[in-house]
Amino acid sequence: MRIQIKKFLDTILSSVEGSPAFYVWISFLTTLVALGAYALLMSLIHSMEILEFYTNIPWEMMVSNYVFLVGSSIGLCLVSSLGYVFGLQRYEIIGKRALFLALITVILGLSSIGLHLGHPVRGAIYNALTPNMGSAMWYMGTLYPPYIAFIALWFWLLARAELAKTATESEGLKAKAYRLMAMEGLKPYLYQRLPLQKLGEKLNRLLPLERAGLGLDSDGVELRWARIIGTLAFIYALLAYTVEGSLFAHTEARPFWYGALYPVDFYLGASFCGFAWLLAAGIVTYKVKGDDIPAKLRDLFYEMAEILALLLSVGLLFTAYKMGHGLFESAKAETIMLLLKGPFSPAFWMIEIAIGIVFPVFILLYSARKRKMAGVLVASIMVLVGYFVKRYDFVVASQVYPLIKRQYPLHSYLPTFMEVLLISGIIAALLLAYTLGVKFLPLKEEMPIPRAITK
Amino acid sequence: MDKRANRIDRRCFLKLLAGVPTFVALRSVGIVYAETRRYGKLVDLGRCIGCKRCMSACKRWNGLIVERDELITDRETDLTANNWTVVNLLFDSRNRTRKTYIHWACQHCIKPACAGACPVTAITKLPGGPVVINEKKCIGCRYCFQACPFKVPRFDFEKRVTRKCHMCYDRIPLLNYMKPACVAACPVGALLFDYKDEIIREAKRRVQRRGGSSYIMGLTEAGGTDMVTILPTIPQDLGLVVAPEKVVNRNLDKIRITAAGFMGASFLTALMYIYATLTRDKQESAHEDPD
Repeated sequence: MRIQIKKFLDTILSSVEGSPAFYVWISFLTTLVALGAYALLMSLIHSMEILEFYTNIPWEMMVSNYVFLVGSSIGLCLVSSLGYVFGLQRYEIIGKRALFLALITVILGLSSIGLHLGHPVRGAIYNALTPNMGSAMWYMGTLYPPYIAFIALWFWLLARAELAKTATESEGLKAKAYRLMAMEGLKPYLYQRLPLQKLGEKLNRLLPLERAGLGLDSDGVELRWARIIGTLAFIYALLAYTVEGSLFAHTEARPFWYGALYPVDFYLGASFCGFAWLLAAGIVTYKVKGDDIPAKLRDLFYEMAEILALLLSVGLLFTAYKMGHGLFESAKAETIMLLLKGPFSPAFWMIEIAIGIVFPVFILLYSARKRKMAGVLVASIMVLVGYFVKRYDFVVASQVYPLIKRQYPLHSYLPTFMEVLLISGIIAALLLAYTLGVKFLPLKEEMPIPRAITK
Repeated sequence: MDKRANRIDRRCFLKLLAGVPTFVALRSVGIVYAETRRYGKLVDLGRCIGCKRCMSACKRWNGLIVERDELITDRETDLTANNWTVVNLLFDSRNRTRKTYIHWACQHCIKPACAGACPVTAITKLPGGPVVINEKKCIGCRYCFQACPFKVPRFDFEKRVTRKCHMCYDRIPLLNYMKPACVAACPVGALLFDYKDEIIREAKRRVQRRGGSSYIMGLTEAGGTDMVTILPTIPQDLGLVVAPEKVVNRNLDKIRITAAGFMGASFLTALMYIYATLTRDKQESAHEDPD
């Protein structure tokens, strides 16, 4: 038994070859994840109070983290749909990286909100059994699972060919695992065991899948299906994120959130977050690995940097409009003044506006013109940090203002130590998943999908 | 007996055809089903002496934990998961010598925004008036906290559910129309429990008799509430921010806001499409699917 385990571990370790820095990085992230798990365990054993104990501020950093991560996922989905839904072929090569990032961000974002819930399991059950059609949160819980499924399927369709290729090139356990991931040999296996052949023929007669090039054996079938699934995922992403913005915008009792501006603002935020994630992750991966960025991808990165700069300036305009519009409403104005002049003003002016929007616009335009990759990288990381703080301000600032009794001072809020541990655990899990994904999955920007025309 | 007596003739059928929808419509409008059948709680702050017996009675009946020294008179207390009703001292901002005690708890809105926000319908407005959280169903998402115009619900970190005053709904029908625990415990008659229309009539009578600047809170706030409070002066002077007078839980408003999101989404899609058509190379379109 022990020998078997040792052999198993050896095969795993031999497949995870890397530099010492890689191991240090992995162990650092694993430690953070373990600390986050410890915080979670303590909250389960003792009380949830160790995570968030402010009675007047019910939604805290876990919610803002969730909004940030899910927004990133939606943005990444939008970017990859440029290639597969809108037919821009130069965007197709970044599809796999974008979709893998979208998948892990949405899963970790939803786990962030799941840990915030008092009873996540109950939530899943009663969401299905006793729905409240008037509640935005119900739509949120209903729209995200199909979105995740579509994103996962889309990624798998794009990565399948390369997974199968890796399976044929390697041997032993690795080959088996990759064959399983690519679902290679599934069709003959199923045909042997189950009477599926007749069913397939019948299905073909009903739906002309083969003729449309969507049958299992057709040439370039993955690409065609990826377009269909991608369109569905795109639609679900838009629906889910509209509802996400509406969830905040429906609450008339929170004047800062209330109104029709936030669902639109969420889209803007998501779109520049998607570009920023992709630029940051892509460039960092190539730099760390020491690979040269292919010329085609280099051009695309600079183009994306320019679009990101454009989106950021639209975002700045929208922020100005939003704040100015809010100042004319007496209920909103007092909360907005917290951001403009009150305790949130350093975070707002320094991080949200300067680091999150204004500096990156100039850096991105400059480095895209001078073709400097480092500038693009720095600017996109700045955008991500700014967006994280923006969502934190958005969630917390609105609740800090006391609504019922003006005689009280502002409610105070500082994330608890355990909460910070849990959030950093979730972010570390995201980075860990991405690192492992780069290691084992075909995320590299090549053109692996059989093109539709091979004739 | 004549069998014909039981049959519905044409005239009767037409009557039913016209009558039933009218009845249903009237019921939904809320004219027929109105204040006469719901219960309400009257809080008369002119009579409250701040003894906090309502707080301790509430804790005793609902089995809530007593936390430290919150039952001491004049001690400032906040609503918590174990404090469903609080009595606090408020000062008149225009005249600091005038002070009043305030009995604060769930206001039991006629159209509760919390019930509209709850994703799993764990919060219901009972026909008798109480707004009740089903603790076995609550998922602890705390969306009702955000929706509530009075910021009443509180999270119980031990049970991981949201809890608040339920107007002792388990007491009203069971024990032969007994009053809620707080009302039964009040020694000076500052709290009153009766049918809603009686409550409003009594509140108006008291205000009229007392004269001055008394204000009845709960007639229009958040679309009307089943807990009616007589304040000695207007709420703004006491530092209370009153909820907007329009009904908070409006589905039309929600649809309007969501539609704005959909419009934003379609705008974004259109922009992406325009970007795609403008920047697509000729080389790329040549590589497009021939079929």
